[in-house]
Amino acid sequence: MTDTTRPKISARSVERVFAAETDNPVHALGPFDLDIADGEFCCIVGPSGCGKSTFLRIVAGLLRPSAGAVEVDLAGTSKTPIAMVFQDYGIYPWKTVEANVRFGLEVGGMSKRDAREKALFWLGRLGLTEFRNAYPDKLSGGMRQRVAIARALAVEPEILLMDEPFAALDAQLRQILQEELLALWEADKRTVLFITHSLEEAIVLGDRVLVMTARPGRMLESVQVPFDRPRTPELRAEPEFNEFKAGLWDHLKLQVEQYLNELRTVEEEGDER
Amino acid sequence: MTNTDPNTTVDKRGPRVLRREPGVAEIKPRAHVRNRKAAERALAIGVPAALLLLWQLAHHYEWNLLGYWKIDQRFYASPYEIVTSEKLREADFWRDVWTSTRRMLIGFALGAGAGVFIGLAMGMSRLVRAALDPLLTALYTVPKLALLPLFLTIFGFDERPRVMLIAVTVFFFVWISTMAAIMAVPEGYREAAMSFGVSRWQMFRHVLLPGSLPQIFVGLRIAAGVAVLILIGVELVIPSQGGIGSLIERGRTLLIPELTYVGIALAALLGLLFTLVVRWIGRLLIPWAPEDNAPGQG
Repeated sequence: MTDTTRPKISARSVERVFAAETDNPVHALGPFDLDIADGEFCCIVGPSGCGKSTFLRIVAGLLRPSAGAVEVDLAGTSKTPIAMVFQDYGIYPWKTVEANVRFGLEVGGMSKRDAREKALFWLGRLGLTEFRNAYPDKLSGGMRQRVAIARALAVEPEILLMDEPFAALDAQLRQILQEELLALWEADKRTVLFITHSLEEAIVLGDRVLVMTARPGRMLESVQVPFDRPRTPELRAEPEFNEFKAGLWDHLKLQVEQYLNELRTVEEEGDER
Repeated sequence: MTNTDPNTTVDKRGPRVLRREPGVAEIKPRAHVRNRKAAERALAIGVPAALLLLWQLAHHYEWNLLGYWKIDQRFYASPYEIVTSEKLREADFWRDVWTSTRRMLIGFALGAGAGVFIGLAMGMSRLVRAALDPLLTALYTVPKLALLPLFLTIFGFDERPRVMLIAVTVFFFVWISTMAAIMAVPEGYREAAMSFGVSRWQMFRHVLLPGSLPQIFVGLRIAAGVAVLILIGVELVIPSQGGIGSLIERGRTLLIPELTYVGIALAALLGLLFTLVVRWIGRLLIPWAPEDNAPGQG
C-alpha cells in the first residue's frame, strides 16, 4: 500500500491448520497477507472451503492463526470494536427482535435504558420498528438478517465483519439488502470485511475485491473497483459493470485454471515419488 | 482444534492494537493435546485418590468434623481396613453381585423394550398418543417404590416384584424420551421421504428410527442409572434374597461396616459399568451422531 497511514487491519503470513495434532492435518488457509485501510469496504471472494471464513474468524478473534499474525488498529476504546454478522444462527430465537439488538449493548455494559434507546434507533434504520416485540421465528429470512445487521451496527463497531450474510436469501431480497447496506455504509464509512461467493455482489459493494484460491486459501488477485460512490445495485445494469465483471472473470478463470493445473502437476509429482 | 478463548493481546500504550497470533495450542498442537489429555487423566484419578487419602487421614486422626461429628474408629472403617479386612475375605459377596446384575439386566431389558415400543407407537400415531398419553402421564408421577407392596401381593416374594419394579421405572424414562425423540425429527426429513412416496414402514425404517436414535439413547443411559438406584432401593427394603442392597444392609445389622462400604462401592461400580455398556452400544448403533457426554445418572 502506498498510503502513509497505518492500515486498519494487517495480516502477515497468516496460516491456519486444522486437526494439527493428528496425522491428517488440514491446511485451510495461507500463507495469507493483507492490508485493509481505515474506512475501506473490502470484499473477499473465493470457492467453498477456501478458508475465507477462517480468515474472518481469525480477525474476529474467534480462532487463533496457526502461524503469522493479524494486527487490528483501533482508534476508540469501545469494548466491542469488531462486530460480526453471520450467515445463519447468529440471532437468538429465544430473544425478541429488540432483545437481540440490545444483546451486544447490554453485554458490553450499557444500561438497559440506553441500550433500549439505541436499539430502537437501529431498528428504525433497518425498518424493523414494528417487529421489535416479535420473535425471530415469526420473521422472514430477510428480516432476520436485518436484525443481525442491526445488532452488529448497534454497538457502533470500528470494523464490521460479514460472513456471507446474504447467501441464504433470494435474489430480489439480496439486492434490497445490498442497497440498504450501501446506504448504511455511506453514512459513516466503517471498515468492512465482507465475505461472499458472488463476484457480482463483491463488485457492487466493495472498494476492492480480493479473490482467494482453493484450499489452502491464498490471495489470487486484489482489484480496485473503479465505480464511483454512492453506488446503488442498479449499477449492475450498466454496460461498464458487466464489462468489468466479465474482464475480471476471464482473468480469474485463467488464473484459477492455471492454479488448478499447477496443483495437478504437484500432485502427479507427489504420486510418482 | 478450535480455540474458543483466544486471549487477544491488547497493547495498553498508545493506540490500541489487537493482535491475533498463534497460541500454545497452535504452535505445538501435538504436545498441547497430549498435555491436556494427561492433565485430564491425572485429575480423573487424582481427585478420587485425594478423597480416599482424606478419608484415611480423618479416620486415623479421628477428626472432629464441624465440632460435633467425631469420626469414631469403632464405627467407621478406613480404606486401608476395608482392603485388608479378613471378614471381607470370608464374606461371599460375589453371589450378591450376580443376583443384582441379573435382576437389573432383566428388568432393564423388559422396561426399555416396552418403553421404546410404546414410545415409537405414540410418537408416530396421533390416535395411540390420544389413547395413552393422559394415562401414562398420570402414572409417570407415581413414585415407583410405592408400587412395591402391590407387586409383592401380586407376585409373591420371589424375583418377579423386584424385576418388575425396575422394568416399570425404566419404562417411563425410555417411553418419554423415545416419544419426544420421534416427534422432534424435523419436518424437512419427513417431507423429503414423503416426496419419494415412502410407505409407513419405510418412513420408520429410514427416517424416524435413525433420526430419533441419538435421543433414545440419552433416555436409555439415564434409565440405566435409575435402574441401579431402584435396584438397591428394593434390595434394602426386602433384603431377604440377597443382592448388593442386602449386602449393604447386612453390614449394618452384623456390625461389619466394611461390608456396607464394599456394597456401596459395588453399587457405584455396577452403575458405572452398565451405563458405559449402554453408551458403547449407542456408539455402535449411531456412528453419525457427535459423541455427547450426558451423565448416566438421572
